[in-house]
Amino acid sequence: MSPVSVVGVSHLTAPVEIRERFAFAPTEAEAVLSGLRAGFEVQEAVLLSTCNRTEIYVCPGGSERVQEAAERVLSEKAGEVVGGTRQYLYRHDGEASVRHLYRVAGGLDSLVLGEAEIQGQVKDAYELVGRSPATPALAGPVLHRLFQSALSVGGRIRSTTPIGEGAASVASVAVELARKIFGGLEGRQVMILGAGSTAELVVEALGRDGIRGLVVSNRTYERASELASRLSGRAVHFDEMPFELAKTDILIASTAAPHPLVTGDGFRHAREGSQSAPLLILDLAIPRDVEPEVGNEANVFLYNVDHLHEILDDNLLKRRRSVPEAEAIVEEYARDFLHWYGARGVVPVIRSLRGRWDDVRQGELDRLWQKLSHLSADDRDLVEAFSKQLLNKLLHDPTKRLKEGAGNGRGVEFIDAVRYLHDLEAVEGDRSEGSGPGDDEEVEGIEMDLPRANDE
Amino acid sequence: MIAFVLAAAGVAVHALALARFTAEYGQLPLNGLAPSLSTVALIIGIGLVATLGLGEGRRVGIVLVPVVILLETFAVSLGIEPGPEQLDWEGAWFAFHVTLAFAGLGGLAVAFASGLLYLVQLHELNTKRMGRLFQFTPPLTTLDRLGRTGLVAGFTTFTLGLVLAWLWTINFGQSSDLWNAKVFWAIMSWLIFVAALGVRAGGGVKERRSALASVVGFSVIVVSYLGLRLVSSQGGFFL
Repeated sequence: MSPVSVVGVSHLTAPVEIRERFAFAPTEAEAVLSGLRAGFEVQEAVLLSTCNRTEIYVCPGGSERVQEAAERVLSEKAGEVVGGTRQYLYRHDGEASVRHLYRVAGGLDSLVLGEAEIQGQVKDAYELVGRSPATPALAGPVLHRLFQSALSVGGRIRSTTPIGEGAASVASVAVELARKIFGGLEGRQVMILGAGSTAELVVEALGRDGIRGLVVSNRTYERASELASRLSGRAVHFDEMPFELAKTDILIASTAAPHPLVTGDGFRHAREGSQSAPLLILDLAIPRDVEPEVGNEANVFLYNVDHLHEILDDNLLKRRRSVPEAEAIVEEYARDFLHWYGARGVVPVIRSLRGRWDDVRQGELDRLWQKLSHLSADDRDLVEAFSKQLLNKLLHDPTKRLKEGAGNGRGVEFIDAVRYLHDLEAVEGDRSEGSGPGDDEEVEGIEMDLPRANDE
Repeated sequence: MIAFVLAAAGVAVHALALARFTAEYGQLPLNGLAPSLSTVALIIGIGLVATLGLGEGRRVGIVLVPVVILLETFAVSLGIEPGPEQLDWEGAWFAFHVTLAFAGLGGLAVAFASGLLYLVQLHELNTKRMGRLFQFTPPLTTLDRLGRTGLVAGFTTFTLGLVLAWLWTINFGQSSDLWNAKVFWAIMSWLIFVAALGVRAGGGVKERRSALASVVGFSVIVVSYLGLRLVSSQGGFFL
């Protein structure tokens, strides 16, 4: 039996204007998942909804009906979409869904390869259903195990591979550069030249790091004012820019001017008497706003668009190189999880298998006693012992193989095969757990041999 | 935290070993090259423990630890035994003088380590690389602050050490001949301190100049110390 299925939409299958329609608020999760569980054979469910993906994980997996129901839940949320919502949805089942969640938690499926935010989002999604008062718990033993191990996968990937190293956006490069020049950014003065959106993103990133002093200068004062008020800064007229430059620690230039606005001479003149304090300049404009010779001035760290893209390309290349290593970690944990899940399912199957054939044995003996009524009690005991011994011998190898399957990750496959070949589902409903011949020595021994997935 | 505990434990063990040396031979480990080097290593180790408590400044340990190991290895390979001359116990001031001078060198060693990392980080920033070296090396401002602290503290203690030495020579009639190797070396070292601090006073980019001066200054002091020790017939005491 498949442990889990996932149905979802992500940045890989849908653009943002479609993705945003599938997004759930945290407060909606419990109602959605409880509804899914009430209407279908779902025991456990978790909803993961971030800006780049919305996914519903259900346990047990393998049910077409459940997957379709989960798709319906997502489609209802998205509403009317040209061409239908199904074209944007994907499904994974069993092993593939386990791997998928591990890849998601490890940042391998993220828009920015290796980004760390998703780890927290996976944790939040899991904890959200954990806090739900629903009984039985929405995240039961299987999804608990799956999500806990997914968080371990994410942690291990990030701690043992360089997949999360190096900034992966212009804004994060800027923050990293500023930190490496100034250390703490508190109280640093930032100036934006122009009103480009990238500059705004950079300032927002820097702002989160504690920068307070912000000046915006633009040829059109109104636009400068607008941006300054949005970023809690101060607008200055363009002709005041040289005066502000003398007090600036970080300059972000992103105008559409056809020629450099900060020339070598102008810069030297503006910075006269500023004690050559360090200055980080991010020239995000094309054509450039800052003359290259400004970068030759002492304590000036000038980065233009090409420099930043080289850094980003280099960082992303390093991240991509670590993907095989990260995938190997995903494989290792997926194997462990399936191993655990397989072992978890094998004990009741062995009990059912032995119970099924013990019933047959008992029935055949009852018929035999009618034909051999002349047998003494001792002879009957001998025949009965023989029948038990024969049954044990016949079932010894299948039992052994099932136990081995639980140990080598093929447990799920074997369980399905044994259930089908011995028609166990028909008898399982009639048999109460823990009763009958399932309690014999061979079955009891299995509990001891259950493999363990990596303990967290 | 682990680095701090390990370094503190190492310094404690080193201090105990030198205390045992003092108890066993009846003299401070300031007499003879090997004991003196070991004492310098201990003082730099103390500087290292101090910097490990300073946030990102802890990474100067990557430079200081090899310096300590190098000095101690050299001292151990020479054999840490008492020097040929007995330290004049009447001149307890001498012991203070040498200890303060060594503490001054410890401060300069911290400035050297910070300066070296400052130049590395500056190079990384100027070459527009954000590799592992960039990631590892602390921010420029942190390194500059640490270097300045090491330099100022080192200069203060070193100067105090020299003043005590001068008083010692007056009180106990010792030689203060400039061409005495240890006198020459001590004055040269003090002038290097003055120069390293002096470059901060001028205009322009004083941080880079100061880092360079600390690196060059400390290197010159170490090389001249070993050079003088090898060519000078005037051994004894700390030289």
